[in-house]
Amino acid sequence: MEQILKDFILALRSSGARISVPETIDAMNTVKLTGYHDREVFKDSLSAVLAKSLHEKEIFEECFYRFFSFDTFSETTGDFPENLAPDIMEENSLLSQMILSGDLGGLASSIREAAREVRITGMQFFTQKGLYIHRILRHMGLNGLNQDIKRLFHKNTLSSRQMAEKLEKGKDYLFENVKDFVEQQFALYSPSATENLIEDYLKSIKLSNLEQRDFYRMHSIIQKMVKRLNDIHSRRRKTSKRGHLDFRKTLRNNISYQGILFDIHWKKKKVDRPDIVAICDVSRSVETVARFLLLFLYSLNKSLARIRTFIFCSNLIEVTHIFDEYPVGEALVKLQSGIGLGIVLGPTDYGQALRDFDENWSPLITNKTTIIILGDARNNYGDPQTGILKSMHERSKRLIWLNPEPRSFWGTGDSEMKKYLPCCHLARECNTVHHLERVVDSLLSLES
Amino acid sequence: MNLLHDKKFASIENVRQGLKNAEYICSKKIATTVYLAYHLEKPILVEGPAGVGKTELAKTAATFLGAPLIRMQCYEGLDESKALYEWKYGKQLLYTQMLKDKLNDVLKGAKGLSASIDKLHQYNDIFFSRSFLEPRPLLKALQQKDGAVLLIDEIDKSDHEFEAFLLEILSDFQVSIPEIDTIHAETRPFVFLTSNNTRELSEALKRRCLHLFIPLPAPELEREIIRIRVPGISEKLRIQLVSFIQQLRELDLKKIPSISETIDWARVMLLLHADKLSSDLISETLHIILKFEGDIKVAEEHLYDMTRKAIKEAAI
Repeated sequence: MEQILKDFILALRSSGARISVPETIDAMNTVKLTGYHDREVFKDSLSAVLAKSLHEKEIFEECFYRFFSFDTFSETTGDFPENLAPDIMEENSLLSQMILSGDLGGLASSIREAAREVRITGMQFFTQKGLYIHRILRHMGLNGLNQDIKRLFHKNTLSSRQMAEKLEKGKDYLFENVKDFVEQQFALYSPSATENLIEDYLKSIKLSNLEQRDFYRMHSIIQKMVKRLNDIHSRRRKTSKRGHLDFRKTLRNNISYQGILFDIHWKKKKVDRPDIVAICDVSRSVETVARFLLLFLYSLNKSLARIRTFIFCSNLIEVTHIFDEYPVGEALVKLQSGIGLGIVLGPTDYGQALRDFDENWSPLITNKTTIIILGDARNNYGDPQTGILKSMHERSKRLIWLNPEPRSFWGTGDSEMKKYLPCCHLARECNTVHHLERVVDSLLSLES
Repeated sequence: MNLLHDKKFASIENVRQGLKNAEYICSKKIATTVYLAYHLEKPILVEGPAGVGKTELAKTAATFLGAPLIRMQCYEGLDESKALYEWKYGKQLLYTQMLKDKLNDVLKGAKGLSASIDKLHQYNDIFFSRSFLEPRPLLKALQQKDGAVLLIDEIDKSDHEFEAFLLEILSDFQVSIPEIDTIHAETRPFVFLTSNNTRELSEALKRRCLHLFIPLPAPELEREIIRIRVPGISEKLRIQLVSFIQQLRELDLKKIPSISETIDWARVMLLLHADKLSSDLISETLHIILKFEGDIKVAEEHLYDMTRKAIKEAAI
């Protein structure tokens, strides 16, 4: 049982659940406590010990059913060649004997044994499937089987021919089953390596080329990134919280007690949290990128307390509450469709957006605020209202502009980027996760 | 801990029954986790939507064990002086003032400054002794001779530092107070941590805990909960209520009603002497289960259909 449990944990790990050694030990103890005769209890207790978040619980459920439902050879017995009289089989190899006598259990355990021998848990890429199928078959004695078939055909008697045909059929059947088995094993053990490859690839690919199906993977990449950066910087930000004894205040407060110090006061250092205003263009020209920028803002919103988020197209609205109330998928759909939010998805109007912001939310900006603007600055030849941006720039601590277009495109056609540039403390091209990572890093390190 | 309650924790079914006797209806999953937590001596981290009974589970566990419940509510800025212990500075200072006159007696016979200081040093430890120690929830829980249930509520609201500080206590159940000594738990407390997932908790903390996710209840379970928690409500109304609430949860609402709201609603129905649902009755009492004006509007649109379905379900 212990080996099975270890294999199961290995499968969980490769599906993306993080399981440490102490947790493995806990799992062993758990099984000792509850046993495994009651499948439901067995599952629930392992889940409590091994899966430590809702996401991991989902992985766990899926893995559990896949892992504990292996019944090789059990479902397709119908196609298996009928049994033959065992008396003429001595010359045949072990594998042929098993096929001829219809020993399904023996074949199943033989597959498993061969799989272990060829170290199937090391399989990482789907291209290796064929290789492993072949290795397993060879290990089970495919050569012997082939020779048997050849020899029996050669003998050319009625019974030998019959036997050879059965063996041929059995071989096909065996091949199918080994293939199934390898597929299952691949599903269990391999995704992590492929996953890492995809992650690396996704990080460097242009955001506009990403597909909807990469969305959740992207979400977790961005989440990881924001969390890591936030961890690094929050440590520095929060070093001293409860300060020293505030002697003056303590004395002053205790004068009424004849100088007996009843009431102690500490010098407290206020935690300096980043104060961020994010403004994101969601118009058609940046549509594909906007999804990921919003994703990024969403993750940032979850890990930094004070961030106000706005989106704009023809006008500008605040959407902070959407981030707070809805899970990520729903929030982004809501933001991009704009239904019920009061946003007009007409031609992009940076001038109007800036005016809206200035009229309604201008007091948000203090000398502690960092403003992040995400957009391509393509204004359809409207009034860019550079003046407003300039005053925002002057009142804020920092104004950062992230533009999904390459720098060489800035200022071409209806792009007003060149005009906005002097009002930015920092303007960066930003269209891959690597770019985002760099920006977040500089953002957070500047905050402290 | 093990010696005290072995009988109560003899089997998962025992745990379930025990919690049920204390008016907490739980799924087998919850009972399994509580059972494991006791035998593996591990804290339980409980997650799930607001109002599904995370805190209630800890409270009930206390009743079940017959142990005191020590609750620590977490919030941003919570630090160890508020969670663990603090010195009673005021008392220390007051005593110093009062004992000023005694100083002459103490120092009698000492010549010179250094001799006086030496003499004073002999009394040094008095002011940092247990009588000046103010235990806060965590220390209190460790000091309970017959064990306690420690509820660390909404751990996700606290800061990272506090979480890190908890790690030591949760794995070793001991605290060192530099001026006195290390205090070990006489009996390990039964620990529950709850979280609403406003932020991701650290891996290290999760590793030390068993993890339990309580989802919104299935209809049968919810009916059973109402039966136990609001006795006196008619069978028919109970089925209708639960059916209506379950349908509400499928709507696009800002805040989905949870068990606590269902219980409140059932109690209100009891007060109103209602024995079956009707559209009027629902629209009058909708504000009890829904907390946003917008949500009430959304629900009112579907009110007729949902009521009809609920009534039909109870008739079967």
